[in-house]
This record gives sequence, structure tokens and C-alpha cells, in this order.
Amino acid sequence: MMRQTQVRLRAGIAGGLLSTAAVLFGVALWTGGPARAVMTGRTGEVLTYASPEELVLSTDGAKLFVLCQQSDEVRVLNAATYAEEKKIPVGHLPRGFSLSVDGARLFVTNTWDDTISVIDTKALSVVATWPVGAEPSSVVEDRAGKHLFVANRISSDVAVLNAQTGQEEKRLSAGRGASYITPSPDGSRLYVTHVYPNPTAFRTAPESEVTVIDAARAVVVDRIALRSIAGVFHVAVSADGRLAAVAELHPKNLVPLAHLEHGGAFEDTLTLFGADVGPKPVEVPLDELERYAARPFGVTITPDKSRMYVTSGGSQMLTVIDVPRLLRYAHLHPQPFVYDLSASANYVITRVAVGRDPRGVLLSHDGRTLLVANRLDDTISVIDTRSNKVASTVTLSGPKQISVLRHGEQTFYSAAQSFQGQIGCANCHIDSTFDGLNWDLEPDGFGRGIVDNRLLEDVKGTDPYKWNGGNPNLPTECGPRTERYFWRAENYDDLTLADLVTYIRSMPPRPNRWKLPGYELTAAEERGKEIFERKVDKFGNPIPEKNRCVYCHSGLKGTSQKSFDVGTKKPTDDSGLLDTPQLTNIALTAPYLHDGSAATLEEIWTIYNSEDKHGRTNDLTKDELNDLIEYLRTR
Amino acid sequence: MKDRARVGWVAACIALLVPMCGFAPDPVEKIGADLIVTAAPVYEPLAELRGGERFPKGAQLLLIHDGKAEPLVTGFAATADADVYFNGKQVLFAGKKTENDPWQIWELTLKDHSVRKVITTATDAVRPLYLPGARMVWAQRTAHGFELQSADDGHLLNYIMLNPTGGPGITPLTYLHTSAFPVNVLEDGRILFESGYPLGSGTTPELYLVYADGSGVESYRCDHGQARWGGAQVASGDVVFTQGHSLARFTSPLAHEEKITTPRGEFAGAITETSDGEWLVSARTAATSPYEIRLWKPGTATMQTIVSEPGKNLLEPVVVARRTVPRRHPSGLHPWDYANVLALDARLSRDGALKGTPERVRLEAQDAKGHAVAMGTAPVEKDGSFFVQVPGDRPIRFALLDAKGVVLRQQKGWLWIRGGEQRICVGCHTGPERSSENRVPAVLLRTTTPVDLTHAVQAGASQPMTSGGH
Repeated sequence: MMRQTQVRLRAGIAGGLLSTAAVLFGVALWTGGPARAVMTGRTGEVLTYASPEELVLSTDGAKLFVLCQQSDEVRVLNAATYAEEKKIPVGHLPRGFSLSVDGARLFVTNTWDDTISVIDTKALSVVATWPVGAEPSSVVEDRAGKHLFVANRISSDVAVLNAQTGQEEKRLSAGRGASYITPSPDGSRLYVTHVYPNPTAFRTAPESEVTVIDAARAVVVDRIALRSIAGVFHVAVSADGRLAAVAELHPKNLVPLAHLEHGGAFEDTLTLFGADVGPKPVEVPLDELERYAARPFGVTITPDKSRMYVTSGGSQMLTVIDVPRLLRYAHLHPQPFVYDLSASANYVITRVAVGRDPRGVLLSHDGRTLLVANRLDDTISVIDTRSNKVASTVTLSGPKQISVLRHGEQTFYSAAQSFQGQIGCANCHIDSTFDGLNWDLEPDGFGRGIVDNRLLEDVKGTDPYKWNGGNPNLPTECGPRTERYFWRAENYDDLTLADLVTYIRSMPPRPNRWKLPGYELTAAEERGKEIFERKVDKFGNPIPEKNRCVYCHSGLKGTSQKSFDVGTKKPTDDSGLLDTPQLTNIALTAPYLHDGSAATLEEIWTIYNSEDKHGRTNDLTKDELNDLIEYLRTR
Repeated sequence: MKDRARVGWVAACIALLVPMCGFAPDPVEKIGADLIVTAAPVYEPLAELRGGERFPKGAQLLLIHDGKAEPLVTGFAATADADVYFNGKQVLFAGKKTENDPWQIWELTLKDHSVRKVITTATDAVRPLYLPGARMVWAQRTAHGFELQSADDGHLLNYIMLNPTGGPGITPLTYLHTSAFPVNVLEDGRILFESGYPLGSGTTPELYLVYADGSGVESYRCDHGQARWGGAQVASGDVVFTQGHSLARFTSPLAHEEKITTPRGEFAGAITETSDGEWLVSARTAATSPYEIRLWKPGTATMQTIVSEPGKNLLEPVVVARRTVPRRHPSGLHPWDYANVLALDARLSRDGALKGTPERVRLEAQDAKGHAVAMGTAPVEKDGSFFVQVPGDRPIRFALLDAKGVVLRQQKGWLWIRGGEQRICVGCHTGPERSSENRVPAVLLRTTTPVDLTHAVQAGASQPMTSGGH
């Protein structure tokens, strides 16, 4: 049989000699052993990385300002060569920045300092630092240069400041976790988004909004509803003002999380609105059947409205959209088509791989270059918009080694580990916090064991985990449990898991805005503290030790790390025995109780404590309950 | 001597330079690795789906090394179905020692060509594939046809699986009264397999997916009706398969197959992608000529024949090289013999709107003889949701009934749910492109206890299974 075999060697002998020659050539070049890949070391040191989050070009296009979140700086780069020219220190954990209308000043929001740094763009130095609201996240000056608008994440509002003095004049109510402001091209409107969903009835779909502000009058003129959306990030508005696109998360928290395929946990979408779209906003999917654009964040539209670009932090990619085709598809197809994962094939041109956790996007003034800030590898992807390819990658100065914490953070913000790359930790723990949603996880049974998502900050030392206390430690929580019931795919290797856990354990709590600077308590808080620690009720009856607030919520973090039945068991729960949650920054984390059924702290006791099992509270007046809550907010 | 040495040196230099000056390298060498192919005088690719034999006149695995073909193993009456381990050092294959033996699964170590028997069974075991997590999957002949089975591949324990269908550690992955064959393990860890459409009753070859624990079975796409078989995933993530005698692909963005424009020819079975992104295909120019192994750069107008053999079909090309290990699927099955099924809105379907309002859902299961058995009905809520408990690891099918009990829609074919699986269906045949709406299905607001449909409605209610079940 072998004799019949004709392996066609068109240049068989020659080919063999070629191989020989190649080997000899290789041997000649091989002088010092095998080539080694350039590897970054892994270090346990706490290193400070740049972590670029947002990008802004100077008015003349000569300078590129890079907001560096972890190094607390604005870096100034030559916009042509990308050479670093200066580092300008600002406040702690800056999140947003923008130029004044005349380009002379750069405003930076410092989220943990509650300040705005004002940078002179000629002198390249901070010329003023203004105190503002709680966790300022975005700032925009109006066209007249009269007002600064600042989105405050914690107070869920937009502060209106005097643009010259920084003096606050008023506040406008925005969505919960107000974070990003985008002006319309003519500056007449400001579009404000928020990262946590607005309150809705228990076990109903989350809702968010785009708060529309008339910039000249500094009043809210519209609230564009974003149905079923929780987690809204940047907005882009076309140059003609007729089209706006909102980058957002569409969770499936009300459907049992039995599997991930077919968008089972999250969809990643855009909501379009404006004159080009029609009277009603249209939600469009970014995902495909087997590939997800996890955690869309930054979005921009070319001046000619031909292209739209969206970064996806979890997927480490940029989605390029054909805008005319997108609009045509949106007009031709009845709503909703957001549940059709094949829709994106009609308007997505390509996906471009970029760096880790890509965030802000910026088009050059001529529209030929698109820059993407890759937060977790300290790079900027420079993309040629004609070819949609990465032309170069700019590496910001900083540590070359990857620390344990950095690796853990990279893992936290990546969706690569989950089935088909649909979700990562940061989907539900937005910016390492929480998502304000309750979820129906599969292991307890469909419709059973509904659980509120808890805050991750300061989680170290609060084990066990899960509301039923079923996971003894974070490696179990993030390892086998996450693999089986969240990622539904092979999980991290041991080293990566260890680094992830180290990162999560390292998360400090945000500054508590209800605490006074010297940590002294107000009179109401003092009264609340007494209630929290009291041993007898108002009628002089002793309160059993296990029914005192301070018994379960003991210790620095407000948890005894034990489980108790506080009478909150629902028909959908298997047990009333629940892990005692920590009280860290509890004012931020509504809804409350294990299943998120209490919309406010008040409801914990006014609705869900009729038997006084969750502390003796039915003897309290409303004012006294308010005092207790005032105190709890300081924890 | 000096002159002779000088002449020799010059000759050697010329010999080395000639190929560098315009002679194209041999296409086999261009691949940069050895190949394994199956050679068979007669090839009936879909015969096994109908209970027949793909290689009725035998088959032999050939190793293409240094441009020469030689038997991969000796001492076998027949060998086929090679799959190279992720490290590129071992090869699983199906083989018969003698003509009268059943096909069995063997493993060859390439370094020393030692062969070990991986499983022993009284019936045919074919088409083995390595799975991540030191496991393997293959097709095992049973009384109902071939079924997918999975087991530890023995790498760690180095033992021979005896009587795999009844032995410890063997997990059946398909539960049908028809045949199924694994064709590829996807990057996401799911097993791509071919079976008839409608699943469990039809004869048109179609591609399906299942997790490595047998859960989550579904069609890869729901644009049914084409004869699709022999798929393989390429680096882009696309799944390339044979459709009729042509090549087509599934891509992540599209809910339907996409034709691949190729040079003229008939194609058969799975393709293999080389490290350069070229495809090795089994193709022939006319129905009367045997299949050859050809190398094709997708998008170009020509193919290069790299291996051919008169009178023999050369099939199932495999590159001997290290490759990416697919993701391991962490099984989340509960220790139950039943399964729970939640339909979010049974009214939704690719098949169009219902002609009435569904009031109840009816479940049928197949008994051991393949007869349909009525398992009872459960209410369908106003929002189209229902929640039922079904027998695990058995062929089942659903039908939607109106208030008068008239069938509004009957599931085409059959499926199974693994014991301990909790499965959510967005609708009834909505296709993989359809994701769920974010709302609590009405049935879960009414109750979190599924309607128990795990037992036959009444004894003796069996009736012969009707094919198709449309």
C-alpha cells in the first residue's frame, strides 16, 4: 500500500535542504542559549501604578492630558509623540476631568478627597483646590463659563458651582450613584448618568436614567428612563446633537442564574436617543452569541457620524460600530430587539483588542486617531480609525513589575475567566463596590434564596461569606463557588486566585461621609449609639443579650461573624439563619436585608421587624429610630 | 582529496542555495508538523448515524512524516479517528486488532510508538476525543445506537477501563434512542456532536452542543434543515463544518450558518487548521475520485493537494502538535435523579406566533424501548412561564396545549436534561440568539415548587413513538 502512496513533494529534496540550511542558520545565530521571553516579575510590594482612566486633549491639540487614578496625577503628554512632559499631582483617586470652555483650566474630581483640583493648563500646575460634595466623579463647565457641574456619586446629585470661585450654589437630583456628565456639542444640555440603579419595587426590574440638565438655567429638564438597566457609564453625543449613545449594563438578576449562555447573567448594551432615533430611546445589544462586550464604559462618535467606538473593560476590547447601519437597523426593527444577540452583526464592523480594563476613549481633532486608556496595564492604545487597527501602544512610566495586588485587580476587572467571557467580578461589584441588585442564584433552587449583593470594601476579617455563611473564606468564595455557580467555566489557577483574594482583602473602605472630621458624634448620633448599645427598652424591661443590636453587630466592622435568625425569613428562603453583615458604609448599600427587600434602613424595622427579633425596636418613636439610623450611617 | 572536498563543499553550498532561490517548500513541510490521516478504500461518512459502518472495507491511520506516509500503528486490522493530546505527544484512536473485533479505544505514545488499550467493551467504541481535566469522550455503540460517553482517560491512573458502559467513572453524555458522535471539543469546553435532526428522531445530520457532564444539550444554531456534520473550531472561534458536500461555518455574530466559498470540490468531515491559519481539508474533485488531503488558505482560489493515494480516501487530517487546552466545565449537577426545567415564556419561538393561548404544557418521556410515555401536564402562566420537574437522563419532549387540550405546538424531536440539572429555556425553540428578558417569571412568584412530572400518568399508557413529533 505504501508504494502506491504518492506524497507529492514538489520540491522534496530542495525542501529538505532548505530545512537543513535553516537549522544551520539557526545554530549560527544561537550563541547564548534559548531566547527568553521578557517577563515582568511578580512582587509582593505595594507599587503605585498610573492607572489611566480618562483622556483629554488640550484645545490646540498639542497636549494630551491623562487622568491617572492610582498615582493621583494628571500626566501631560506630547499629543504628537506621546512623550511624558509633566506629572501634576492632584487629590486622591481622581475619576473625571474636563477642560474649561476656554481651555485655560482643567478641572479634576478627586473622589476620596471630595475636592476638585483646578489646573492651569499653561502653567501645568494646580492653582486651586475646591471642596465639593461626596465622591465627585465628573465635572463639566457650562458654555458661558458661569457654572461648574459636578456629579457626586454618594449623594446622587449634581452640584452647581460658581465656575470662578468653586462656591456651591445648588444641587440637582440625579440618578443613584451619579458619576458621568457629558455636554451636548452646543453646551446647552448636560447628560448625567449613574452607576447604581434607582430604587424600584422588590423583585422588579432595575431602572436607571439619563438626567438631562439645561446648562444655562441649571435645572433638570428631563429624565430619560433606561428600563432594566443597572450600571450606566459614559454618554456620547454626535457633533450635530441628533444622536446620543449611552454605555450600560443590562443585568438578568431576576432570572435564576442557572447558566451563562445566551446572555444569562448580563447583556452589554447601548441606549440610543435623540432626533436621529425618534421619540423613544432604543436599546441595542453589543454582544454576540458567543462573545460578549463585557462592561461597556467609554463611547464616542466621529464628527461625521459614520462611526461609534465603545470600550469594554471586561473584554479588553473596542467595538467599532457603523452608525448609519445602526440607525437603519434600529428604525427597521420593532422594539425590543435587545434580546437578539445576532442583532449586532448588522452594525458592528469589528472588535479591536486593546489593553486591560479599557476605559476612556478620545478621538483626535482630525478624527484619524482614537486613543483608549487601558487602566490596568498603564498603556494607551493608539488606533488608526481608517484601518481600525492598533497602530501603537503607549506605555506610561511607572513600575514594570506586576505586583500581587495589581495582578489581583487585573483579574477582578477581567471577564476572561467566565464562560464565553460574559462576566467578571466587576460586573456586580462596580468599581469594586456593589451593584444595588438582588440576585436569584441557582443552587438554592429557582426563585429561592434571593440574595442582596453586598459591599466588598473592608471585607477582610468578616468571614464567613454568603448570606447563609456557607463559605468559610474568600478562597472558597472566589474559587470553587465562583467557578461552579458564576463563571460556569474553569476557574483561576492557584496563583491567580491567591492574588485575587489578596486584592479583595486589601480593599479599604471609602471615607465615611457621615463621620465628622474628628469622628465625634452629633447629638442625634449619640442618641442613636445609646439605642444601639442599650440593654433595657424604654419601658425598663431588660433586652435579652442576643436581641441587642450590639450583640450581633459587634466589633469594629459591626459583625460578630456569626449567623442569627432575626425574623426576616421569607417563604422563598430555606432558613432564617443568616450571616451578620458588616456595617461598613452601610448608608451607601441599599437595598437592605439578605434579599434586598428593605428599600431603606428604616424599612428594616418599620416593615420587617414586627416581632422585634431584629433588635428591640418596636418601642422606639420615629425620631428615635431616626437617631439609630443616624448613628448607623457613621459606621 | 582536497579537490574532492572542495567540489563537495561547492555542491553542498549549491544544494543548500537552490531551494532558497525560488523553489517553493513542500506543502507538507510548510505545515511544520507531522500529520495523521485516515485512509479508507470506501468512506460512507453518515452511515453510522443510520447504524451502518463508515469504513465498510476497513481503514488505516497514516502518519505523514518528512513527506512520507507510513502506518501510524502496526498489528491492527483497522485504525481510524485520531485525536492528538494537547501536549502533542499522545494519540487516541479507534482500532480493531482483528477484523472481527469491535472498534475499541487505544492510545499511542508518539515518542516510542507504544500502544495501550484505553477501554475494553463488547461493542464498538469510536471517535475518541481528549477532554480537558484528564478526561475523554467517545461514541459507544449501545442497543439504541451510539451514545456519547465520557471517562477519565487513564493518564493519571494508567489503568484500562473495563466494560465502560457499566463501569465506574463512565458518564453517558447523551440520552437518546438514536446515535450521536463527538466531533470536536470547543474552546469553551463544550462538546460538539453530530446527530440527526430533529434530535432523537430525525435523520438529517445536524450539529449539537453539550457540556462535558451531559448537561445543557442544544442545537448549535437553529436554522435547521441543512445536512451538517464534521465540525471543528478554528482559532477565530468559528466552527467550520461540512454541509452537504460543501464547507460552511458558524460564527459568533450570526444566528445562521455562513457559506464558505471554496475552490471547486466535494468536502468531507472535519477540517484542521494549521498554525499558519491554513486549513487541511479532505476533498475530491468528483464523486468518483477518492478524497485527498488538501491545504487551503481561506479566501484564496486554489488548493494544494498534499497527500493523495489512488484508490484510497484520505480523511480526518490531524496535525501532530501542541494545542490549546479547552476550558474545563465545572459540573454543577445536583445529586438528584430528576431535573428542573423553567421556561421563561413558552410562547416565544422561531416558529412564529401560536394560534391560541397556551394553558398547559404536556411532557412525554421515552421508556426503555423508545416508546412515548405521557408524564402529565402542568399549567402555563399568563406570561408563558412554567416550572416542571422532569425525569433526568431520559428522552423527553414538551407540547403546549390550549384550554381544550388541543396541541398548539409540539416539540420537534427529543432532548434530555441531566439528573440534577436545573435548566432554563427562554422559550420553545427560540434559538441560541435569543437572550432572556429580565423579569421574575410569573410561575416563580406563585410557587417555587415545580410540578412533578417525573412519573408516568398511568400504567400501560405507552404508545409507539412517532417519528418527528411535529
